Amino acid sequence: MNDQSQSGGASPAPTVEPASTGLTVERSGQADAPPGTDQAHTIVVLAYDRHGALDRIIGVLRRRRARMQAFAVGRNEFPGMVRITVVMNDSEVGVDQLVEQLRKIVDVQHVENLTAEQMVARELALIKVNSNESQNSNEIIELAHHFGAHIVDVTQQTLTLEVTGSEEKVEKFVDSLQGFGIREVARTGRVAMMRG
Amino acid sequence: MYVAATITQKPEGATTYQAHRTAEAVEARELTGSQILCEALVREGVQFLYGYPGGAIMPFYDALTSYPTLHHILVRHEQAAAHAADGYARATGKVGVCVATSGPGATNLVTGLATAYMDSTPIVAITGQVARPFIGRDAFQETDILGVTQPITKHNFLVQRVEDLADIVHEAFKLARGGRPGPVVIDVPKDVQFNTTQYRASAPVSSIERFRATRAPHPSAEAVARAAKLINDAQRPLIMSGHGVILANAYEELYAFAEKTNIPVITTLLGLSAFPETHPLALGMPGMHGPAHVNRAIGESDLIIGIGLRFDDRVTGKVSEFAPHARFIHIDIDPSEMHKVKRAAVPIVADAKEALARLVEGVEQGEHSTWIDEVRGWEAENNERSASIERNQEYPDPICILEAIRAETKDEAIIVTDVGQHQMWTARHYTWTRPNSHITSGGLGTMGFALPAAMGVKMGIPDAIVWAVAGDGGIQMNIQELATLRQEGITVKVAIMNNGYLGMVRQWQHFFHNGNYSETPISGPDYVKLAEAYGLTGVRVTKREDVEAAVQKAMDTEGTVIVEFVIESEANVYPMVAPGSAITNMIEESPTHE
Repeated sequence: MNDQSQSGGASPAPTVEPASTGLTVERSGQADAPPGTDQAHTIVVLAYDRHGALDRIIGVLRRRRARMQAFAVGRNEFPGMVRITVVMNDSEVGVDQLVEQLRKIVDVQHVENLTAEQMVARELALIKVNSNESQNSNEIIELAHHFGAHIVDVTQQTLTLEVTGSEEKVEKFVDSLQGFGIREVARTGRVAMMRG
Repeated sequence: MYVAATITQKPEGATTYQAHRTAEAVEARELTGSQILCEALVREGVQFLYGYPGGAIMPFYDALTSYPTLHHILVRHEQAAAHAADGYARATGKVGVCVATSGPGATNLVTGLATAYMDSTPIVAITGQVARPFIGRDAFQETDILGVTQPITKHNFLVQRVEDLADIVHEAFKLARGGRPGPVVIDVPKDVQFNTTQYRASAPVSSIERFRATRAPHPSAEAVARAAKLINDAQRPLIMSGHGVILANAYEELYAFAEKTNIPVITTLLGLSAFPETHPLALGMPGMHGPAHVNRAIGESDLIIGIGLRFDDRVTGKVSEFAPHARFIHIDIDPSEMHKVKRAAVPIVADAKEALARLVEGVEQGEHSTWIDEVRGWEAENNERSASIERNQEYPDPICILEAIRAETKDEAIIVTDVGQHQMWTARHYTWTRPNSHITSGGLGTMGFALPAAMGVKMGIPDAIVWAVAGDGGIQMNIQELATLRQEGITVKVAIMNNGYLGMVRQWQHFFHNGNYSETPISGPDYVKLAEAYGLTGVRVTKREDVEAAVQKAMDTEGTVIVEFVIESEANVYPMVAPGSAITNMIEESPTHE
């Protein structure tokens, strides 16, 4: 793919349609998406938790060869439903059609394409680091404190830390722990919702 | 009508399938899953089921004999069951039904489901599944058919409890025919077919979450007004009408719209017969094998009004050079079709019938005689050139075969084509006048479609004369269905255009692979003897002058008749647009090409 993607300047924010209509009338952009217009998108899908629902959603993403960076599934405020947050790269136009294709899945109740300005987004990570020397432990605890991370498990050899925040913050935290020897990192991927 | 409950009111674990149960207090009976399946099919008004029994669907076949209104047709291969259900659906607008057992039975349906999915036709496929305790354990004849069919169905269900079965069947029918139609699979484990529960004949439920998949949105007044303005202002407008017009039964509205605006009408392959080709505004088919003047008109047009079509690559050729001067009004029931290929200046997400009716009210009387004369001028040039080419007069010629069928059936036949050269010749040269008289596999291009689909068409419209037109390659893909036609006493007239080649592939080899006819010469059986072996009638035609008599004989003979026309072996379909090339850049017929 063309790597001018991030330098494309501020493209107009895509209109997020109200949930009640679900219908698109007009969108910006050309259908033949010009190269270099792809960027990261955060898509939130609310779906009924039924047999095959996740398959169908992933099936659409797979068929479109979406380049997924994160895919998080969890419950939301409605019983019997799941909330999925997908972070992926696509062009503006491509992603608009993807949103419509996701809406066609019978199990899908609602789809939103969130922009950076509109959303709050966080992810959680568990990081297991070596802590066989007491001096290390203290340093790690101090560092964790600095990042607002919690210690969730302690053994003689390891400390397991939990951190939440933006991807950048998680990455920074992981980076700063590199020196102690990281054994395992588990990241949830982004979950997001609209502000306000 | 749908159950007016919000999501928050839904109790945990409960499915909406039970939501309506209290609404109608009808006497409950204790029935098995198989009986419930039959009851629900009867309630849906199902007449015909095309299927094939096997281990995991046997309880259903056991119950079936107690429901005499459900007429089951035993096909000879499950693929044919899906195509027959598809043909029935295309001809009648009703949901076609096919049945298969688990494993190989279900996987044999796959091509038929994919065909229906690509062409948006409503079919419900019922498949047996191994009993629930065996699912996922590689049981005998177990296939994860939900997983297999997930990308080629509108929706699919695994029935987990017999209590859900009736409502799932009604949901499946509603999903199949609602909104943009499509195939739906219901996978029923064998033990669910045996289990019993209280059954009440209940009103088909329409739950809130299925609403989007089944509705036909109304066109907004604002969009109609903007479209009308573009139409009124256009100098070189064209209507492009697709399968959506036929699915929406919008023939009259299309006619009224074309007549009021005086805009010429192009019909896509699946849109053929939606607009009478004898009408002065009818132009014909666009795209890869469309006549040159149609593609040229698209190239010159300033406004394309696309109705119920998806701008498939066989229509557009190279997208960036497709209708380069035109703005687009795109009417489609599926919002995901908007801007998919070409950006629409006015996208209208709506059922074609309603959108056209509103447009007819909204537009001014139009006049485009200069534009039409220009296009007709190009057409005349093409016709002149075509007439100047010397042709072989010895063999039965595809065009004269089609003319003979049309004349002999007094233009009342429904023609079901297979895939390949004969399909393009038929599409181009049959002069479609009767609405929905042309049935073919367009999107998927499924060889072997014609014969079983024609069976479904004939059963759906028993008064119609049904001709299956196929090549010698495609007919051999589902030829076993001759036995089904014979057993059921169904009359389909079959025309085989036999050129001893997989002709369309050979044509591509001729143009794009240096004439390297790799694996395209094909032999076949003696079709006359074959017909006789199946207890049917066969006729062979090798000379042009015998064509009419043979067609007449086919019409005069009772039952299914196979007419084999031995045509010129290396005839090509002209004009042709090379794949990926602009549609205005056509390979034309010339004496040197033969």
